[in-house]
Amino acid sequence: MNDTVIRTEDLTKSYGRRRGVVGVNLEIRRGEVFGYLGPNGAGKTTTVRTLLDFIRPTGGQASIFGLDSHRDGLAIRQRVGYLPGELVLYENMTGAEVLRYLGHLRGGVAESRVADLAARLDSDLSRPVKTLSHGNRQKIGLIAAFMHQPELLVLDEPTLGLDPLVQQAFYRLIAEAKAEGRTVFLSSHILPEVERVCDRVGIIREGKLIAVEDVAALKSRALRRLEIHFARPVPPGAFAGVAGVRDLTVEDSILRCTVMGSLDALVKAAAQFEVLNLVSHEPSLEEIFLAYYGGGDSHAA
Amino acid sequence: MLRSVFLKTLRDQRRAVLWWVISLLALAAYLAVLYPSIAKTPSYNQMLQAWPKGIVASVMGEFPDYSTPEGYMNSTTFFMMAPLLFIAFAAGLGANAIAGEEEHGTLDLLLANPLPRWRVVLDKFVALLVLTLILGIALWLGLAVGGAAVGMDLDLGRLAAVTLSVVLLGAAFGALAIAVGSATGKRGLSTAVVSVVGIVAYFINSLAPVVEGLQPYRKLSLLYYYIGADPLRNGLNLGHAAVLAGVTLVLVLVAILAFQHRDVGV
Repeated sequence: MNDTVIRTEDLTKSYGRRRGVVGVNLEIRRGEVFGYLGPNGAGKTTTVRTLLDFIRPTGGQASIFGLDSHRDGLAIRQRVGYLPGELVLYENMTGAEVLRYLGHLRGGVAESRVADLAARLDSDLSRPVKTLSHGNRQKIGLIAAFMHQPELLVLDEPTLGLDPLVQQAFYRLIAEAKAEGRTVFLSSHILPEVERVCDRVGIIREGKLIAVEDVAALKSRALRRLEIHFARPVPPGAFAGVAGVRDLTVEDSILRCTVMGSLDALVKAAAQFEVLNLVSHEPSLEEIFLAYYGGGDSHAA
Repeated sequence: MLRSVFLKTLRDQRRAVLWWVISLLALAAYLAVLYPSIAKTPSYNQMLQAWPKGIVASVMGEFPDYSTPEGYMNSTTFFMMAPLLFIAFAAGLGANAIAGEEEHGTLDLLLANPLPRWRVVLDKFVALLVLTLILGIALWLGLAVGGAAVGMDLDLGRLAAVTLSVVLLGAAFGALAIAVGSATGKRGLSTAVVSVVGIVAYFINSLAPVVEGLQPYRKLSLLYYYIGADPLRNGLNLGHAAVLAGVTLVLVLVAILAFQHRDVGV
């Protein structure tokens, strides 16, 4: 029994001098939620669109369900739900019409399923697409991806433009899909989102897959930028050598540093002084790359 | 109307086609109403004969004639106006077929379905054919009814023959537009290619009878296979109709092959 749902071997796509992907090796197992994380323009969409046979690799190959992504594209698409990264719907149709059309092209989809998804995502299907905001269009795209209950969901930046409440509903849909044994491949440029919904994450930068890790391992190395404001100037020596602390600077009463992993040691060291404020920043993807992978020239883990 | 790409394409065009049909009926009525007075005034015909042959040929064909129903219909409608309208209509649809969805950005959503690419091209082409045929029927109906109303003695079977020919001509240029759009994903390029090919083909066919150097090239023009055998007087020339249909078929095949083998939406 083959439990690999997506496998790419040295997948390469170059468009002359423009961005593409180089030598991507991925293996995604049945029932897992895999996050494909990278900044905009890193090659996420290129990878996704190669998997679905919109574009053809210039090197290597990709298979889904053990089927060749190009030769068996039809059989694959039968079993895949896809949300495009740059979703565009038919402007002069209503959401319901778009979904009915796409449902027919799949050989029919239960209307109750569409209605259920629309209710959960709070999507008004009676309005013409041209009157909808980006987020409301995205909901229709999500319904289209989920409505036929595919074995594999390929979602390119699924939460783009969704308001927080709808995002929560979307996370629940992902959790349900996982509970039902479906596989999810989603791309994102937002680390907390990937940490929240994914089991594993592949990190892509400038067309190269630089790491594939369990989200648990990633979290244990969580990187935060901290600023602690004290009531009075503090001696820098008091924080030297505290576990997990990097890039420490102390200017009068303000301490700035980066912490990897647990905050415990730093908080305990700070507790001996009077703390006025504590500010934490989520690091940008670029900072994570620099901190973890030395700027991205290292090879996949 | 949302059961297939074919039906959805028809649905998308329902308003536009309604306007085309109304316009064609109005044009037909106008031509019919004008006929009795023009036919009764020999000076119009003498004027045609007096004008430079090249200029007259380029808009009315080799044998401009306002004195018979066939001559009048050919000179006013079927030589220039009808092919121009049918090519414009079909080429617009054809350019939109694949390249339109690609430029608009809906192609990913469409091709993510378990639907082979050839099927998308074929559905869009068949829709184009059906819509062009609807225009043809409207033109035939308008001229037949309008002609009968003013007592014009037209053979309705031969009127159908020339109308069918112009539908086939439109379909061929529509297929050319689909082929260029499918191969490149560029709607503007598709329209440009059809315009250039159409204009060149038109002038080769219309001027070949009066410009000696063009004579050998007339058979390269698709317009020749549409009007060269004068279907309004002689009925459908099966050989010429087969050339138009064959060219169309080849262009649809080219469209499918080119579309199957390229990256989309890049």
